[in-house]
This record gives sequence, structure tokens and C-alpha cells, in this order.
Amino acid sequence: MAADVAAREAPNRPMVPITYYLLLAAALFCMGMFGVLVRRNALVVFMSVELMLNAANLTFLAFARMRGDAIGHVSAFFVIAVAAAEAAIGLAIVIAVFRSRGSVLVEDIRTMKH
Amino acid sequence: MTLAEFLQVAPVPPEQLAPSLWLIIALPLLGAFICGVFGRMLGRANVHLVALSAVAGAFVLSVLAFWATSHTGPGAAEGSRRLMAYYRNPFGIEADFVRYALAYDYGTWFAVGDFRVNFGLSVDHLSGILLLVITGVGFLIHLYSTSYMEHDDGYWRYFAYLNLFVAAMLTLVLADNLVLLFVGWEGVGMASYLLIGFWYTDPAKAWAGRKAFITNRIGDFAFLIATFLLVLLVSAFTRQANAADYATAGSSTQRYQASLQEKGPVTFKGLEKLAEGLVDTGTDKVDLSTPIEAGPLAGYTFGGVMTAALLLFLLGAAGKSAQLPLYVWLPDAMAGPTPVSALIHAATMVTAGVYLFSRMSALLVLSPTAMATVAIVGALTSLLAALIAFAQDDIKKVLAYSTVSQLGIMFMGVGMGIFWAAVLHLVTHAFFKACLFLGAGSVMHGNGDETDIKKLGGLRHEMKWTWGTFLVATLAITGIIPLSGFFSKDAIFHGVHHNHLHGLEWTSSLVYYLGLVIAACTAFYMTRLYLLTFEGPRSKEARVEHAHESAWQMTLPLVVLAVLSVVAAVYAFPLMRSASDGRPQPIFENFLSPVFGAMARIAEGAKTVELDTSVPGMADYLKAWLVALSGGVAAAFLYLKFFPARVGQPVPAFARAVRRTAQNKFYVDELYELAVIRPVKFLSFILFRVVDALLIDTVAVRGTAWVTARVGSALRYVQSGDAQAYAAVMAIAILGGVAYALIQVLQ
Amino acid sequence: MNIELILFGAFALLTLLSAGMVIFARSPINSAMALVSTFFFLAGIYVLLWAHTVAVLQVLVYAGAIMVLFLFVIMLLNLGESPTRGRPTLARLAGGAATVGLLAVLVVTLLKVPGDVPAMAPEAQASFGTMALLGQTLFTQWLLPFEAVSLLLLVAMVGAVVVAKSRI
Repeated sequence: MAADVAAREAPNRPMVPITYYLLLAAALFCMGMFGVLVRRNALVVFMSVELMLNAANLTFLAFARMRGDAIGHVSAFFVIAVAAAEAAIGLAIVIAVFRSRGSVLVEDIRTMKH
Repeated sequence: MTLAEFLQVAPVPPEQLAPSLWLIIALPLLGAFICGVFGRMLGRANVHLVALSAVAGAFVLSVLAFWATSHTGPGAAEGSRRLMAYYRNPFGIEADFVRYALAYDYGTWFAVGDFRVNFGLSVDHLSGILLLVITGVGFLIHLYSTSYMEHDDGYWRYFAYLNLFVAAMLTLVLADNLVLLFVGWEGVGMASYLLIGFWYTDPAKAWAGRKAFITNRIGDFAFLIATFLLVLLVSAFTRQANAADYATAGSSTQRYQASLQEKGPVTFKGLEKLAEGLVDTGTDKVDLSTPIEAGPLAGYTFGGVMTAALLLFLLGAAGKSAQLPLYVWLPDAMAGPTPVSALIHAATMVTAGVYLFSRMSALLVLSPTAMATVAIVGALTSLLAALIAFAQDDIKKVLAYSTVSQLGIMFMGVGMGIFWAAVLHLVTHAFFKACLFLGAGSVMHGNGDETDIKKLGGLRHEMKWTWGTFLVATLAITGIIPLSGFFSKDAIFHGVHHNHLHGLEWTSSLVYYLGLVIAACTAFYMTRLYLLTFEGPRSKEARVEHAHESAWQMTLPLVVLAVLSVVAAVYAFPLMRSASDGRPQPIFENFLSPVFGAMARIAEGAKTVELDTSVPGMADYLKAWLVALSGGVAAAFLYLKFFPARVGQPVPAFARAVRRTAQNKFYVDELYELAVIRPVKFLSFILFRVVDALLIDTVAVRGTAWVTARVGSALRYVQSGDAQAYAAVMAIAILGGVAYALIQVLQ
Repeated sequence: MNIELILFGAFALLTLLSAGMVIFARSPINSAMALVSTFFFLAGIYVLLWAHTVAVLQVLVYAGAIMVLFLFVIMLLNLGESPTRGRPTLARLAGGAATVGLLAVLVVTLLKVPGDVPAMAPEAQASFGTMALLGQTLFTQWLLPFEAVSLLLLVAMVGAVVVAKSRI
């Protein structure tokens, strides 16, 4: 009886602790943040933002697995949709800036100073 | 079918009409909205149509509601009268019905803890009669205004305000609790302010509006405190009362508590039960001399708190109804258009104080002290205003002081417990004073806005309709015998004379004899006003050669109101028989007896007021008539014979001094200036120098600016415009926050 | 040791490696290619978390659509390698320090999260992470946000056209 339950439960339990996934997400997030803060090329900054968004997604999914409900998946879905919108607008801005300044380096874009 | 049977079958039965009571308020409100927002687009004719039909609709609904309160169902025989128009008193026992009334509760307006206010409307004979006055006289004045304001470009604003006023006044009258009544109370105050300052480009008129508003605010403050006191009193009562108390009130413990839960503490029916519960029957725990055990009022007696609350209500009512010491705004309120003076500052709004005390008559009779104060304040105000009116030359000012004086007479009646006569005088006064004001407006309209009666005269032949109606209304207010004013005023004086306040018996005589003096004064100044305006030769200083009679829109209301001033006398005739002991009773007293039933029971039970039920005899009538006549004849002698003969001769110094004092309104405004306004201004000046100029301007405002500028110039170097630098700062801040949170969690 | 742990280790390592390439590569085109591989490996990790649908979406939307957009822009602007490595400014040093600090704090925090997972009922397990469950949740409980997102995408599309077009 107890063995039955154990056998049925066995595939339920992940072999990898959820903590590992969370740590991976943290590492990914910090790498993305590093890219945002350090890289000069606006396009790479954008890619780093995508990394951060993916780290957030990973966290959502890890917790969804832990709680066993679909809310985390829904959140991840929304994050992907927002990321798509953000990429479209962001890249359009990069194009517009490149047209007017001939550069995509963030250090050349300092209009906030005025 | 006799007339009585016809009147007892309402076209819309009460149970069908009650849920629609809100429409009475909503119609004028909608009119105000349409006129105010779209008025300029709609044009003059459409605005007139909207405003008039809104008030006419409210009038029709009011008639239906009023009719429904007397509904007894078809085929009701005299012996087995089936009462159809009633609703179950929420605070009473099962068999306790409020007769001749309909009510509807639209649910909770707001609730805070135990305190709850419902949006409940009710119509009984008291509020019903006021509904008719407000919408009926209101409609006539709207009609009159269409012609009076024909040359004014702000017509749409005017009609929006006027409709707004009607809506607020109807709210005041229909409310079944104190808080909703206060909404109407504030609403009429605001509409009054807007209309007094209607011609706001004239600074004096704008100031008059402000004066009215601020004076009223003092009274409203007292009103609010009184309401809070009553709320505390109700909660103290429910804590301390025993079953016998509730039995005295005609209720039971569970029923009363459940109704408090449902309706809140400030409904009039609940307060009425509270008043009945405070009557001492021997076995109950709570009566007027019981000290309150707990709460903010601990240590005071129920009766003491009740007196305090009623005196505060008196201050509130004095503000709205222009009594001492807050009457000063009303004469200045004549800065508004004349129809506004007729509607707001004569017929309806200023009677709100009388209505308030009539509505709360059950509470008022618990405190002879408060009643005596009300009566004496009324008498003194009335006398003072009448004396000032002697020497005023502005036609509207005379009428304004006359209004203050007449309101004082109503307060005398309320204060001495003769409520039905006070309400009757309210109604008749609404008719003849509105007629007088509208007549004055017609005179001004026909004479190039001349208001000085010394520069009028001889209008009798030039403005026949105005003259006729003005004469009727003057006779009515003077108290000449077959007109309504005589009967309503005499009913008050008779009641004042024969009612006695327990422990303060001397007030009866004092107020009565003051009343007779006032009656003579009234006759004098009104006759003077009439003679100088309409009789004699036309003044040489007149602005226009020949006055022209006004249009039908103006004369028709005058005629209707004049007719009403005559026929309203019927109400005071003792043609009915009392339901309890079969003695003859004036129609109006019989008519209002369901409303004032609780008041009479309490007065008898608590032995605070000895109510007299006799009917004035021929000797009383003769005395009152002689008093009125003597005043009128004196004025006629002075202004027709004496003064015309002495034209050009020097006036004695004494007479000149008296006249100057009266003309300057006994320097009351100056007294207030010296005693109140100057000190407040001085204090304000000190505060201005220390708080405003030093603390706020120098330290707070300029200091902040200085620090900001310095810090800004120092931080300017940080602003490099590099987005990543900003992001790095943000990241460090996040790091700090997260680390702090982590440390907190770990600990 | 079991297959799941091995797979996780492999995917995690590869993800981190390609993410490092994204942020350290000198040429944007290399960054972009590394980003594609990051997304693929992450999709693998999603599958390990039983989030099949999101994994598919990840490949379709990120690795497909968004990356194409990036590459397209890079080619459109004809961006080559960065000419010189920028001088490390104070702000960048601070940013790097903040990142390292944040990572440390996060690791300390996450190690305190209990990693064990409560058992799931077999029927719940059967539907977990499927398109059916996601769709059902989206179109019942989250219908309004879902519709709002569609509006957001429309606005983004119009906005991108307006911003990027030199003359309309």
C-alpha cells in the first residue's frame, strides 16, 4: 500500500530542487543587469534586458512548478507578450536614434542632461 | 359626492406614490442642471420652458403627495374610517402607525460604525403644506421672473440657481432625518448666496452675498454641534433605558434598537420616541433629571443636554431665519433680484428655522428654558426689526425688516408652544409677503429701478394691478379683519397669552404685550410704505415721468397671491371639531394635529408646557383689530396730514436723532464691527505678521526655495545625462533595500 | 544521479555560458547569436519544469520573432564590432559592483527558500503545463488582462511604425 503510494508519487517529485532553478534565474538576472549597466551598445543593452526578462520568467515557472498551478505560466505568457512589444518599440527607437545621431552608443545619447 | 369625500380619495394612492417621492426633488434639480449647463445654448425661451416646467412638475407631484396624505380609500363612512395614508412607525410597536403621512426609505446613504444615515423622505401634513407653498409660490415667482429678468443676460444662470434653490428647499422639507435636512439647509444657503450675489460685478452685492453666507455659517456650525449632541443623547438613552422607558415611548427595547440599527439615530421619528421616553412615569429609569452615566457627556443630565442642543438649534435657526443675533444678513440680502427676495428671503428659506422647530416640536417642549429663549429672541427681534423699519426709505429694506419682524412673530409662536399657528402664519406670510415683494419688484420695474419710496408716490393710478394687490397684501400683513394675516397673527398671540411654560409663567404676558406693540408697529410702517408709494402726488424726483404697468407674467402671480392672502384666512376659522374631546377647533389646528400629537402628549406628560386649547373670542379679535387699526391710523395721520402740512419747516432735534438712529439700524452692524469684526481682524493681522509673513513666507516658503536651490546647484554635477549612470544608482539603491530587507528577515 | 539532474546541469551550464557571451561579445551580431542559444537552452529548462507550452512559446516568440527583429536591425544599421573598449567610468564600476552585490544577496536569500515540492494529484499532473490548461486559465480568469495585452501589442505595432518611419 505504502509502496504503491510511493510509486505513484515518485514521478511527482522533481529530482532537481526548485532552489537550483531559482539560483540559475538569479545568476541570469544578474548577468543581464551587468550587461545593462556596463555595455555601451544600445542593442546589447536591449539583449541584456531580454535576459533579465527571461530570468524573471524562469522564476515564475519554477514557483508554478512548486505550487502546482497555472498562474505562473499565465504570468510567463504575459511577460513574453510584453517583451515582444518592448522589443518592437525599443528597436524602433534605436533605429530613430541611429538615423538622427549616426550612433547606437548610449554614451552618445545624453539629451537628459539638458 | 361631497367635497370631503372627494378629497379623501387621492388620484394616486399613497403606497404607489411613496416610492416616487424623490422625483419631487429630482425634477427641479434636473432643471437646474439643464439650465446651468446648456442654458446659454438653449436660449431664453427654452430656458424659461425648462425651468418653469420643472417647478410645475414638482408642484403637480406635490399636490398628488399632499392629496395622498389625506387618502382614506373610496367609500369610507364617517364611522368606520379606514386610514389608508399611513406608514408603520419604524421606532414604534406593531400597532404604531404614523397617520396621514407617507414615507419611503431609499436605503443607507452612509454608515460609520453604529452611526447610520438613510436617504429617507416623508410627507405628512406639515411638510405637505410646505411642499405646496414652495412649489406653488415658487412657480408663480418663476413665472414672474420670466418677465422681470427679460433684459438680463444672465437669465440662464438665474433660472439654474432658482431651480437649484427649489430642489434644496424641497430636500429640506422632505427629509426624514436631521442630516438629510442639513443637506437641504446648506443647499438653500448656497443657492441664497449665489442669488444675492447674482450681479457679482457689483462689489457691494457680492459682499452682501458673502455676509449672508458667513452669518449663516455661524448658525450652521451650531446646528451641527446640536446634531452631534442628539446623537450622543440617543446612545446614552439606549445604554441606560429600561423596558418601562421604551413602554412610555410607545415602543419596545428590541424594536427601538433594531430601528436604530436600520435607520440610524437622527431620524425625526426616532427622536420623537426619545423625547417620549424621557417623560417621567415613575417606574422608568431615564427621565429629564437622570444623569448620563458614561460617554463624553457623563455627569450631565438628559434634560440639560437636551436644553443645550435646543439652544444650539436656536442659534442655527437664528442664522437661517434671520433672528437676533444673526439677523443682519437679511436686509443686505435685498441686493439680489427682487423675485429672489420674494421667494428665498420672504416666503420659503427664511422660514426654515420655524419648520425645524415645528418638525422637532416633540423635543422642544421638553425644555421650557429653550422655549422661553426662542420666544423672547423672537419677540426682541421682531420689535427691533419693526422699529428699524420705521425709518427705512428703501422699499425693499422696509419689506426685509418686516420679514425679520414677522419671522420673529413665528418664533414667538413656536417658543410658546402654539406650533400650528406659527406654521399657519408661515403659510399666510409666504402669500402676502411674496405678494408685497413681487409688487415692490413690479414698482421698481415700472419706475426705472427706483427703490426710494420718497421718490415714488402716486402710483395708484398708473399701476392699477400692482396697486390693488399691494393694498390687499398690506391689509393682510397689517391685520385688518377679514384677511388671513389677522387670523394667523391673532392665533399666535392668543396662544402665546394662554400657554404657560412651567416655571417661567411670566414669559406669557411679556411676550404677549410685546406682540401687541409689534402689531401696532407693523401696521404703522406698512401703512407708511403703502401711502408713500401709491398715494399722494407723484414725487418731483421720480426717475420716469409715467410708470408703466408690468406684463401679465408679473401681474398674474400678484393677483393669485393676493387672492390667496385673502382666502387663507379660512384655515383659522374654528369650523372643525377636535378628534379627542369634540370642542371646536380651527381647521389648521385640526389639520396639523397628527403632526403635533406627540408634542401634545409629551407636554402633558412631562408637565413642561400648559397648552391652551380655547378659541379666541370676539373680545380678543376686537382688541387685536384695534391695535392694528391704531397703528395704521397713526401712520395715515402722520403721512397724509401732518408731514405734508409741515413741508419746509425745521424738524425738532429730538425727532431727527431718533430717526437717524433707526435709519442706521440702531448701529447693530457697527456694534458687530466693534465687538466681533475688529478683534478678529486684529487677531488676523497678528497672525498674518507672525505666522504668514514670518513662519510661512520667510521660513517655510523662501527657506525651502533657498535650500532647494543650494542643493540643486550642488547636485547639478551628478546629472551627467548618462542613462547607465542613473541605472547604476538605481541598482545600488535596490541592492541597499534588498540587503536591508534580508537583514531584517534574518533577524 | 539521475537523468533529470544531468539534463538540468547541462542546460544550466550552457545557458550561463551563452548568456556570458551575450554580454561580453564584442560584436553585436555575436551577442545576438549567443542570445538565441540562451533562449533555446532556457526552453529546455522550461521543459524540465513541465512548462511545455511556455517552452514552445519561448522558441517561437523569442528565438524566432524577437531575434529575427534584432538581427534585422543589426544588419539594417550595418553595425560592426565596437571600435574600442570604452573607458570604464565610475558609473560602470558602480554598476558592476552593484550587480555582484545583488547576486550575493539573492543567493543568500534563495538558499533559505524550501526547495521541496508538495506532491501533485495524478490528474493535475496530467494537465499541468499543457496548452489546454493555460488556455482555460487565460480565457476564464485572465480574460481581461489577455485582451489588454492584445491592445498593448497593437499599440506597440503602431508606435514602432510611427517612431521608426522617417516620414509618414
